[in-house]
Amino acid sequence: MKLNRRIASVALLGALSLASATVFAQQTIKIGAINPYSGPMALYGTEVTRGYELAVDFINAKGGVLGKKIELIKGDATNAQQGIATVEQLATKDKVDLFMGTYISGISLTASDTAARYNKLYWETNAVAQNLIERGLPNFIRTGPDGGAFANTSVAVVKDLVAPAIKKDLKDIKVWIESEDSIYGSAIATMQKAQLEAMGVKVVGVGAHSARTIDLNDTVLRAKQAAPDVLIQTGYVPDGNLLLKTSRDQGFKPAAMIFVGTGDTPETLEALGADYLEGILVVGYPKYDIPEAYGPGSRAYLAAYRAKYKGEPLAPQSMAAYSGTLILFEAIQAAGSTDADKVQAAVAKMDKPASSYPSGFGAKFEKSQNVRSYFTAAQWQGGKMVTVYPKTAMPPGATIKNLTRK
Amino acid sequence: MDQILNVLVVGLLLGGIYGLVSIGLNLIFGVVRIVNFAQGELVMFGMYGSYFAYNQMGINPYLSVFIVAPLVGLLGVAIQRFVIQPLHAESNMQIFATFGLLMMFQNIMLAISKGEAWSVGGTMGTLVWDIGDVKVSVVRFISFAAVTLITIGLHFFLKQTIAGKAIRAVTQDKRAARAMGINVERTYLITFGIGSALAGLAGVLLTPIYAITPGVGGNFILAAFAVVVLGGLGSVWGAYIGGMIVGVVEAFAGFYIDPVLRSAVWFLIFLIVLIVRPSGLMGQVGAEEVGFREQN
Repeated sequence: MKLNRRIASVALLGALSLASATVFAQQTIKIGAINPYSGPMALYGTEVTRGYELAVDFINAKGGVLGKKIELIKGDATNAQQGIATVEQLATKDKVDLFMGTYISGISLTASDTAARYNKLYWETNAVAQNLIERGLPNFIRTGPDGGAFANTSVAVVKDLVAPAIKKDLKDIKVWIESEDSIYGSAIATMQKAQLEAMGVKVVGVGAHSARTIDLNDTVLRAKQAAPDVLIQTGYVPDGNLLLKTSRDQGFKPAAMIFVGTGDTPETLEALGADYLEGILVVGYPKYDIPEAYGPGSRAYLAAYRAKYKGEPLAPQSMAAYSGTLILFEAIQAAGSTDADKVQAAVAKMDKPASSYPSGFGAKFEKSQNVRSYFTAAQWQGGKMVTVYPKTAMPPGATIKNLTRK
Repeated sequence: MDQILNVLVVGLLLGGIYGLVSIGLNLIFGVVRIVNFAQGELVMFGMYGSYFAYNQMGINPYLSVFIVAPLVGLLGVAIQRFVIQPLHAESNMQIFATFGLLMMFQNIMLAISKGEAWSVGGTMGTLVWDIGDVKVSVVRFISFAAVTLITIGLHFFLKQTIAGKAIRAVTQDKRAARAMGINVERTYLITFGIGSALAGLAGVLLTPIYAITPGVGGNFILAAFAVVVLGGLGSVWGAYIGGMIVGVVEAFAGFYIDPVLRSAVWFLIFLIVLIVRPSGLMGQVGAEEVGFREQN
């Protein structure tokens, strides 16, 4: 009798815990966050995920989405192959409802493909490769700008900032386009060349180098011989730093230097020093100095970041990730589900103007790409990055300095 | 004309960098007959050592060479004694072991640096001599001068000292050297130590030029192996001359043909030299086979 009672209480306990687990599962939306959290790319993988975490904190404090709390489960993917394995594990073992990522396009490519096999939504916030959208994958949606936006913004900077500063007509401006030689750099360089030439700008040279190169003297001497007014570089931190050092050593001084994607972090400041960098422009994700009118909620984001992580953000990528995650929550709310097809249908109807989110993004999707997400341009001024383009993104009182670099 | 001179100077200074990272590898590859994949990581340790000395202790990066190079040398001795030597009967395993070291060293620095690129800041590395229209970067010139002095010093060390003569004897014929009473294992330890210290020294001298990342050694190592084979295994002057040839060819090909093709051009020269003279430009004829003859 005693034994029977014990069995009965154990069974009751089991049933209760099962029931509570089911209730808990019903009250939670699980998101698999795919990024590199180990290896050489972990720094920015973690930084991007901090944007997700802060967005999750924000929405959970307001009661969650569809009345459910959001739970983020990190999936480490340091390369494309690992992207597949991690998505498989999160889909089968952790049973996540959807995925989001990534700041490396190659990882996003395979991870989203694998997510499609499990019929799960893949919400992309930071990878920029254009082919991610061109594939037409039904579960894939991107909130951040693509590589084409890098080209558009850098060309717009030449037209709207550099031309007036150096007092030349576009047809008299000479540009040297330099890039690292993988598909990332060369695709952007090709678009820059086409757009600049369409505006009548003279492209006096297009150079490519390995991101792992140990010497750029030949490149710089060639560029110097072509005497451009503007140098545009698309690459990574080590080759970008080496290009600047070599330009300095060889006395190569184009009136304006525009760096695309990198060149805005303390890594470049430490290598070159504030004096040399003064006036150099960098096209990238919106910085933290943008005014509230351009990025509503950016101040609150920065305060939340400082409070949670006890320091300054390492890079602006996390605020773009944060904005993208807020758009995701609105899309799920509108769709009433995390089902990829329903969310696709919901985002197709979204129509929020630019400057609706902290990084200045709006939400208007064409072929699953948010066409109201933008890069901005910032300028090195006194060892700090100050946003200078577009005008609406400039902090109050900011000016453009030393654009014709001395 | 000025432009040709400028490109030549750029090429020679680049050759100095190639020579610098190759000279230690040449000793290890040429004498101990180990394909040390972790050689680039020893250069990387030299760079981080110099960076820490500068940033944490305020020691001039060039002065830190007197601490950093011996430490990397000691690390090399430890690698030879505790990793390479126990695997002496398994030459393939020795190569895999150095690959394991490469991964381990890179990941240790990754954990410390978190993947951020570090640089020695300040005015270090900004000095340039203007000689007519030719610009000479002082930090690159220091590397060039250093590799020249090291080559001369090593030449005399190998020719004049007992330890150097032992190294040469082991390079030529390990078995005969042992029969003559030379302690081959100790010679290997010394050689690996010197080769590693030279890698550390190279790292220190390159610190003002490059951004330091855990993978930075890999940027040099492929070219360094090619320089060693081109110049001749175990030949000190081979690494020097090989480095200069690669540097100058790369600079001219990069400037006058296309920067994208510069490596293709010098690897073509590398292949031609190998076909015509398998022992390399300055290597002892037949030396390239010794390693395969003596796997005992």
